[in-house]
Amino acid sequence: MGILLEISENLQRGKAKNVKELVQQAVDEQIPAEEILEKGLLAGMNIVGEKFKNNQVFVPEVLMAARAMNVGAALLKPLLAQGDNVSKGKVCIGTVKGDLHDIGKNLVKMMMEGKGLEVIDLGTDVPAQTYVETAIKENCQIICCSALLTTTMPVMGEVVRAAEKAGIRDQVKIMVGGAPVTESFCQQIGADVYTSDAASAADAAVELCKAAC
Amino acid sequence: MTNRERFIKTLKCEPIGGQVPTFELVFFLTMEAFGKVHPSQRYYSQWNQMSYAEKSLHMNEMAQLYIDTAKKYGHSAIFVHPNPGDLEHIQWLLELIREKSGNEYFIMMHGDPTWGIPDGQTMMDFSIQMYEEPEKLNEESAKRVENALETARKLDERGHLLDGFALCSDYCFNVNPFFSEDAFDELIVPYLKEVIAEYRKMGYYSIKHTDGNIMPILKQMADCKPDAIHSLDPQGGVSLPEVRKIVGPDIALAGNVNCGLLQTGTDEECRTDVLRSLREGMENGRGYIFCTSNCAYTGLQLNRYEMMIEIWKEYGNYDRMKF
Ligand code: B12
Repeated sequence: MGILLEISENLQRGKAKNVKELVQQAVDEQIPAEEILEKGLLAGMNIVGEKFKNNQVFVPEVLMAARAMNVGAALLKPLLAQGDNVSKGKVCIGTVKGDLHDIGKNLVKMMMEGKGLEVIDLGTDVPAQTYVETAIKENCQIICCSALLTTTMPVMGEVVRAAEKAGIRDQVKIMVGGAPVTESFCQQIGADVYTSDAASAADAAVELCKAAC
Repeated sequence: MTNRERFIKTLKCEPIGGQVPTFELVFFLTMEAFGKVHPSQRYYSQWNQMSYAEKSLHMNEMAQLYIDTAKKYGHSAIFVHPNPGDLEHIQWLLELIREKSGNEYFIMMHGDPTWGIPDGQTMMDFSIQMYEEPEKLNEESAKRVENALETARKLDERGHLLDGFALCSDYCFNVNPFFSEDAFDELIVPYLKEVIAEYRKMGYYSIKHTDGNIMPILKQMADCKPDAIHSLDPQGGVSLPEVRKIVGPDIALAGNVNCGLLQTGTDEECRTDVLRSLREGMENGRGYIFCTSNCAYTGLQLNRYEMMIEIWKEYGNYDRMKF
């Protein structure tokens, strides 16, 4: 079996230790870091994302895979920094003000990182203004808002308005999600994209970033 | 028949006729309904400094609040959140409720030693342990089972005033369980089975609660033989008739009124949902407890809960089925 495939398969099984050793081995074999990242780590994470979307694996498996990915990516980071590898886009994500549910938000973040996006995590209980300020300061192409409570969903509308007020609405896309959020709610508040799961969220974000570049 | 007797017969899946029993795992809305803080929301920082007389006033007031809640909404069971939660105060609270209401109500409290969905902070570590050191989690489970049984035993020796336990560890998100079938088999099933069997030997009933999409692990849960399965949340895609098919006729089913909808839906949507739940639940003529698909939680409008109860009064009667 090719070593990149082996990396991908171990990552899917959450074997962080094996992934670390295999990535090191691949580096020693002079395989370019970009290729290890793309065809080993990110390929594995993609499969996990798809399986999660199709209810074939559950949250713990995704977390284990994400940990394995982070371990492998940490090894590659210095090598990638040397080359001209640029991230595919920049996103800031957070759970909205008044809401402390962050499990879904964290999964979205991991999947996005798994697609090679740079993600700034604002944590939970994030006021509308903070998303906008971060997007301006960090030059993010996308703002991602997560909410799990019907009572906190309206904050997402505030984020849209705050972006308009700050004059950045045409430069930044706003994605919304979380169990009670729907496509029609997304449209109603004037956000750009809603998806029902983390893997689709990451796919959509990559598309948005491509379009923005 | 007392409410307690009706509730117990329902847990045994015996036909009772008359009104379908109802209760709430927690009825948090006591401030709106009675002008009183819910016992679980109270923080008695100076409890130990209080005189016996003062403690007694607090304990009596909490006991009365539980009874008043049951009376006002026609509940057959009381779920207590003892506060303080040590054995001495649990016993005191139970004695007071029995003193004031005799054997009118079925009384239950928390008693689940099995693992539930971990919180956001510990989820990663817990997942790693699940895969890399399941035996450590299982060692811990064995200890937790022993502690739960120890409490049950002591309450049994002190007069067995408690009727049963609600096993409240949540296993499922709305989309899927947290535990895969294999993980559930390895980490949960042996301990759930044991604790329920031991509770039963001591004469306690077990109501297993978990919200979310329980369908992938439902059979495994049912095989642990709880007396009832609680919450059956439509937000997690759970349907009463589907559950009935899988668990058979001898485990009682409780819940299923969409509590998310109660908060966000229109009156008409809620009414339709409550009626659907009653119709599907009463279909078997036994083994059904009417309640929300979680609890009457903080933030729910009281009038919505009261509307749900009004519909239950009108339609939730086996002797005059209106469906
Ligand atoms: C875990 C949990 C908690 C934990 C949270 C721990 C944590 N660190 O996150 C704790 C115990 C703290 C908690 C507290 C409360 N909770 Co809670 N909680 C849940 C529970 C069990 C699971 C939620 C979850 O993590 N789901 C799994 C993740 C993976 O799903 P997800 O978040 O939807 O994310 C997926 C997608 O939506 C999408 N996604 C998510 N975010 C984003 C963002 C973008 C941009 C995109 C595109 C996609 C996307 O991708 C994810 C993966 O595919 C649910 C019930 C259930 N069974 O689901 C209740 C639930 C959400 N909670 C509820 C309630 C009421 C509360 C409390 C108010 C309870 C109380 N009385 O105090 C408090 C509120 C605290 C607060 N201020 O936030 C209700 C909400 C009802 C409603 N409709 O508003 C629920 C539905 C329970 C119920 N059945 O009634 N809760």
